[in-house]
Amino acid sequence: MLMPPFVLHNPTTVEEACAIAGSLMEKGEDFDWVAGGTDLLPNYKWHLNPKPHVISLARIEGVNTLSLHEIGCMARLADLTVENGIHPLIVEAASKVASSLIRRNATLGGNLCLDTRCFWYNQGEDWRRSIDWCHKADCGTGADCRVVPNQNTLCVATYQGDIAPTLMVLDAEVHLIGPSGLRTMPLQEFYQLDGMKKNVLEKGEFLLKITLSEASAARTGSYQKLRVRDTWDFPEAGVAASWIAGDATSLKVATTALESIPRCHPEEVTSVLEAGWDGMNSVKALAAAVRKSVKPVNNTSLPPRYRKSMVRVLTKRAVEKMIE
Amino acid sequence: MSGGYRQQPGGSGPTTRKDGKRVAGKQSFPPPGSGGSRPHMKPRDLDFIPESVGGKEEQPAGSHIHDRARTGTTVGKEIPLVDSNAKVTGQAWYGDDVRLPNEIIGKILRSPHHYARIKSIDTSRVEALPGVLAVATGEDSPHRFGVLPVTKDEHAMAVEKVRHVGDLVACVAAVDEATALEALNLFEIEWEVLEPVFDPKKGLEDADEPIHWRGKYHLSKTNVQKRVFQEFGDRSLVDKPHAESHGKWSMAGVHHGFTEPHAVVAHWGPNGRLQLYTPQQVPHYTHRALSTVLDVPMHQINVIRTFVGGGFGGKSDPFPHEMCAAILARKAGRPVRITFDREEVYWINRGRHPSHIEVKMTADEEARISGFDIDALIDGGGFASFGHVTSYYNGVLATAPYELGSFHYTGARVWTNKPASGAMRGHGAVNTRCAVEVGLDEMAETMQVDPIDLRLANLLPPHSRTISGFRITSNGMREALEKVREGSNWDEKFRQMPLGKGIGIGCGFFISGSGLPIHWDPNRFPHATVHIQVDMDGGVTVHTGAADIGQGSTTAVAQVVSEVLALPIEMIHVRSHESDTSPVDLGSYSSRVTFMNANAAIRAALEIREQLLNAAWEILGYHPDNLVLNDRRIYYKHDPAIGVSYLKALHKAQEDKGSLIASGAYRSPPMGGVHKGAAAGLAPAYSFSAYVAEVDVDVETGMIRCTDVWAAHDCGKALNPMAVKGQIIGSCHMGLGQVLSEKMVYGRTGHLQNANLLDYKIPSVHEMPHVEPIIIESCDPEGPFGAKEAGEGPLLPILPAVVNAVYDAIGIRLRDLPLTPDVVFKGIEKTLKNSDVEDPLDLPSPRLTHSSLQPTLVARAQEHKLRDKARQRTEDTSPYVNGVLFGFDPTIPLEDQVEGWRTATEPDPEQLAELGLAGRAWLKKEQREMGGEN
Repeated sequence: MLMPPFVLHNPTTVEEACAIAGSLMEKGEDFDWVAGGTDLLPNYKWHLNPKPHVISLARIEGVNTLSLHEIGCMARLADLTVENGIHPLIVEAASKVASSLIRRNATLGGNLCLDTRCFWYNQGEDWRRSIDWCHKADCGTGADCRVVPNQNTLCVATYQGDIAPTLMVLDAEVHLIGPSGLRTMPLQEFYQLDGMKKNVLEKGEFLLKITLSEASAARTGSYQKLRVRDTWDFPEAGVAASWIAGDATSLKVATTALESIPRCHPEEVTSVLEAGWDGMNSVKALAAAVRKSVKPVNNTSLPPRYRKSMVRVLTKRAVEKMIE
Repeated sequence: MSGGYRQQPGGSGPTTRKDGKRVAGKQSFPPPGSGGSRPHMKPRDLDFIPESVGGKEEQPAGSHIHDRARTGTTVGKEIPLVDSNAKVTGQAWYGDDVRLPNEIIGKILRSPHHYARIKSIDTSRVEALPGVLAVATGEDSPHRFGVLPVTKDEHAMAVEKVRHVGDLVACVAAVDEATALEALNLFEIEWEVLEPVFDPKKGLEDADEPIHWRGKYHLSKTNVQKRVFQEFGDRSLVDKPHAESHGKWSMAGVHHGFTEPHAVVAHWGPNGRLQLYTPQQVPHYTHRALSTVLDVPMHQINVIRTFVGGGFGGKSDPFPHEMCAAILARKAGRPVRITFDREEVYWINRGRHPSHIEVKMTADEEARISGFDIDALIDGGGFASFGHVTSYYNGVLATAPYELGSFHYTGARVWTNKPASGAMRGHGAVNTRCAVEVGLDEMAETMQVDPIDLRLANLLPPHSRTISGFRITSNGMREALEKVREGSNWDEKFRQMPLGKGIGIGCGFFISGSGLPIHWDPNRFPHATVHIQVDMDGGVTVHTGAADIGQGSTTAVAQVVSEVLALPIEMIHVRSHESDTSPVDLGSYSSRVTFMNANAAIRAALEIREQLLNAAWEILGYHPDNLVLNDRRIYYKHDPAIGVSYLKALHKAQEDKGSLIASGAYRSPPMGGVHKGAAAGLAPAYSFSAYVAEVDVDVETGMIRCTDVWAAHDCGKALNPMAVKGQIIGSCHMGLGQVLSEKMVYGRTGHLQNANLLDYKIPSVHEMPHVEPIIIESCDPEGPFGAKEAGEGPLLPILPAVVNAVYDAIGIRLRDLPLTPDVVFKGIEKTLKNSDVEDPLDLPSPRLTHSSLQPTLVARAQEHKLRDKARQRTEDTSPYVNGVLFGFDPTIPLEDQVEGWRTATEPDPEQLAELGLAGRAWLKKEQREMGGEN
């Protein structure tokens, strides 16, 4: 597998990175950001929408901060798996990402901005030619979606990151930077329901860091991941739950790997809370409600029906473990 | 003399003169090879010399003809494989490590269609691209090839039609990979897309355009490549069964998942000879196919087998890309290298056949197995490969280790528009074995007996014949079962553990070498030949064509030579890479190498040994019968002080003739029946195994975790226990993959959806259970020092052991492999739906209360144990054929004793209506019977 050639830019400051992005945009040249490269480079090897320029964040100083309240985009997942002051829920989720080898390279920013995945898309070029391409990488053919045929608007590729749901239930905020400046928003608002657009990042913008408030730090929780093997595999479904211990009203649940975006489930939590918190019965009701709310499609290893059924078990287990 | 006897007595007289000059003909240093830093002979290692020749090595299974050649040097000892240093230091050269000066890169254009006719190929734009040095298409390779002489249906590149997505269409060689890849986009091809077939069941029906055409032998207009019918025994025995089991299985295709992708380098030398470097398990077949395809005599081709980064059967076909590289190199006049991407590895496939298997079995009131009825429809993909054999193996390898009242098998292999299936570790035997062993478990359940006791009371003894006529020699089945029962604490656990925890048993039976060399008459030419050359330095060079694919064949050959000649293994150098220097060998498949090559090597080594002993006789004056070989020294057996070093004896033997040269060959004895297909499954010896697996099943998610495996395998004699244990553990890993997570997924459009190692789920280290390898040594009379295979058979039992353990854990029989969590969950959901239970955590666990049959079985097993022991040690040499358990006399042909006893290879007309899925192939007629093409 030969990677297509590209020009690699190695800025050393955030400003320089933004300036490079700005100038490439001016020239009308397309580019990608790369952090650890464990997501982008395999995709490049498969010739999945490669760009002529790649801007690396690896040499930028000060973007790998690591603390309870702030984690930089270049923080390596391997460093998030040891409890050096980081929130234990993040440690739990980071420890379940891919394999120890990949975690040494992979970064928090890369994981949050993970490209969505689909078995009609994550394939070599010859393979995709044999299906006449797909909506997400149509090679100029305007090809249809292969998962849900006859719809040519949204891409239903699945977001399979592990850390996003845990940050969501911790009320994390993301900080985005680009030529037009810095903006901040809750992580829940970061993702956009389309497997191609994926998130709100505008061209030239990148995810700088995430921050956790004091209140978030007080939360405890659990993350449950469904996968066939205990290493390498992306989640086939993932559920994170957190609360401020003993306070049912603070409960938050988020899911991943079921749709094009990870998301929180406030309505389901509210509806269960409205009926009054009743320990395990409420947990079961909540699990059923969350299960009902997700709509996985057939584009990962395990069938969608099964993944959906498992959301109930995972939610139940996540909340159970959290309550413990 | 604490360290033993000196290798060199010091020579006679000084080596220097008084004036300091060297005495003529005398060296001032000891001759090389005399021991170096280890000048003393090591004492004999009696622990590794058999009792029968005065050592301390116990032989519960009796003595062996090779015992007298044992010197206690390496056989039976745990030694690292001889090529392990090369591998761990990164010096082993695999296919893609070969770099030749001036080499260029070849790439293959692959079909984007499942099934299509090529109307035209225009290569002009490709040829015009700067940097492109050669282009080839199907027109450059009109000759067919295939691994089996009876089914040559492949071309280097598609001629007329492509048969699956990824099939080879054309190839190009360019100065670098980028140019070659660019060139692939410049081919202009006009296609006529044809209607593809994906479902093997559809392959049984007539098609407009069958994927291949076999002329007058073609079965109607179907896509059936091979059909088999076999029936043995008395079918009336199954009429009134006391217990029965009936299961329909669907098993996904699996791939070998070897680490090294295919890679090849072809180079036409200055004299027009082809040198082809390839990681092949079977270089000889590639050699033959190259000769056919390129129209070049075999002696003008030198096939060089590189180190093989795992094969498991997946590198045993001659491959089209090997032909492509040779064609491109010939055209370009420069060496051409082709290395596959993982996707291409999956497209060339040759993995285990996706199979639909139906097994019915019955037992009589004495819990004797009155009948096996097996139907196997296997999905061959686009080409024949080894499929002809696989079609037989799916049935015939289920005829042991149990004594059967009758056996009925229908099998069919069909072509579909998918990558070709082929041979994979446990070739053809794995899927039916799983179905059969689970069936036995189910029958035991109905009869309320312990499944291990059911097996123990129905085993064929050593030195017997199966119902299909296979000659069983050594047989360690009983001991294997007993050992795993004891090791796993079976009697305390089976049907007694809480919900979610289960334990299961499975057995295995596999060939140790195929009895029939497919390219020549076994009665005239040997299966394997080994040459040994010993020069003045004392080092022993062994030439063999056995391909070491990581299984340790080089080590096995080195070990047996080292053992016979009593030389440290460092002095044995095995040369096995080049066809120019290796004697012809059939290669590494059907678990033949240790059995056949080591036997040939022993024969060659014995010849060298004789020459050495004769030389020592001349020097010492003692007859070879009174001489002992031990660690680089030959001495008088009653007084070790009277001896001669190995090197001295060697030099004496070399007088007047130079290097000692010997050739040894192995040929299997004549055996087997005469019915059609009798040779399939015939082997000079068979291996036996029994595994117990323990699992944890998460009843809420359907996730299975195999926690422990007790794995007993009868390999005859472990030449190298470390290697045998490695094979057992590796087999467990591979089999667990097939039973738990690995499958080649063909989506709704027929495309292979997971042609990569992330989505094709090979178990990781986290999924590996603790495996307790238990080696059973039944001492095969014809095996080298008693050895049999240990590379494939150990894979078989793990599948049924796990499936049976899952039943023990959750009380649900699952028959769709692999048992991915969704399959298990579906089974659980279905069970819940059909019962009053709501929460899976409340499911009942299966329990067992023994019926009155149990003590009968235990008593019979006990009786048989004594019978087997006497036969194993050849204290009882009376004939035994399958059927004795049912009261027949083994000395009279069974046909003469019971009217219904038959041996049939074609169905009777009245049987046609009741044949299973694959059996329906027998409803069709061949073209010649239909008055079609002749």
